[in-house]
Amino acid sequence: MRYVYKFIVIFLAVAWPGFLWAEDVPAHYVEDRAGVISPNVETALNGYLQELEQKTGVQMIILTIDSTNGQPIEDYALDKAMKWGLGQKGKDNGLLMVVAVKDRKYRIEVGYGLEPILPDSYCGTVARRHMVPYFRHGDYSNGIYSATMVLIDRVAKAYNVQLSGMPKIRPMQNSRSQASSIIPFVLFILLVSLLLTPHSRGLMGMFLLGSLLGGSWGGGYGSNDGFGSFGGGGFGAFGGGGGGTFGGGGVTGGW
Amino acid sequence: MTRKGWSILILIISVVVVAFGIFVSQYNKVISMNEAVKAQWAQVETQLKRRFDLIPNLVETVKGYAKHEKGIFEHLADARKAYFQARSIAEKARAAGELEGALSRLLLLQERYPELKANESFLKLQDSLEGTENRISVERKRYNDRVRELNTYIKSFFGRFFASWAGVGPAEYFKVPEAQREVPKVKF
Repeated sequence: MRYVYKFIVIFLAVAWPGFLWAEDVPAHYVEDRAGVISPNVETALNGYLQELEQKTGVQMIILTIDSTNGQPIEDYALDKAMKWGLGQKGKDNGLLMVVAVKDRKYRIEVGYGLEPILPDSYCGTVARRHMVPYFRHGDYSNGIYSATMVLIDRVAKAYNVQLSGMPKIRPMQNSRSQASSIIPFVLFILLVSLLLTPHSRGLMGMFLLGSLLGGSWGGGYGSNDGFGSFGGGGFGAFGGGGGGTFGGGGVTGGW
Repeated sequence: MTRKGWSILILIISVVVVAFGIFVSQYNKVISMNEAVKAQWAQVETQLKRRFDLIPNLVETVKGYAKHEKGIFEHLADARKAYFQARSIAEKARAAGELEGALSRLLLLQERYPELKANESFLKLQDSLEGTENRISVERKRYNDRVRELNTYIKSFFGRFFASWAGVGPAEYFKVPEAQREVPKVKF
């Protein structure tokens, strides 16, 4: 009898994790399998996506991979989305964003229920404005962040819910041009104040100038304020698909 | 009646009940398979219709840049007409394939008229169209899967009998002509 128990315990210990592994279910909302998303962005997106699901039921998963290994990305994304059953059963409000880094291809797969909120043309515009410009510079982190936040924002508005600490997201080109038009002005003011103030304040001015420049060139979008509020173990863990279905809606593109 | 007589009677009754149960469940299975095929075909037609609804806007936008490409516009109009005149699934599939070819030629115009590529409404229409093409292929695949299930069952030993009793015949596949299967994907 004791052997039977022993056997069961050993069997479970060996087989159970293996079973889970083979299932290939997403553990988090952001599944960065290509390893291209910065920890900051990953934490922030996991937080927002979790809150979105809690408030609207919408299940949005971001998946990065190296390559689909020759499979059309449309088929790959549909397979995964259906297998994971993203979205609630009957409501079909799931979304899967796949970025195949080495294939230089992306796909936003939209569940039946989200199609009215996120029509193909809207998703295409978001991808062209928010992902592609960053992706062309190899900046997958910011491209995915920017596009995902715009999609989250649109869904939250359609469901009439407010997510905590949602930053304003602008396309890359716009924010660059705005930043560069402000910078000479800020520089001028700071230089004037540097020249007109005593020594101690001058140093402060220089510090301010430095941090301002650093901030506006580094980010490209002013949204890092949202990052600090998330963290902690187990946060942003995906609880599993709800059995939603997909009908091939969404967009595909490359960069 | 003797004890033996009773047990034979009970045996006969239970066999009849079990047979009746099998009969009903198989009959229902055929009916529901047939309904699944029909429902899935409706999904295919919804998506095909969605594509037709996009065409007028797309043509208008493209005409603004490429007025003299009459051949393509006529080809599109013909394919559209052919689809609406089509009766059988095979005819509809052929007309849908024709239309796909004409549409891909229309989309290829952006190679000759680069201004099209910069036109946001053209890009949006292209997204909608590509999205619809993808939906069509998804629903078409699911339709063919349902048809395969039904037809396989109908060809099976008992299935043949139940299907004919339920008045269900084999369904027609939505075949895509080999030449039109590859929709040219346009890079932008």
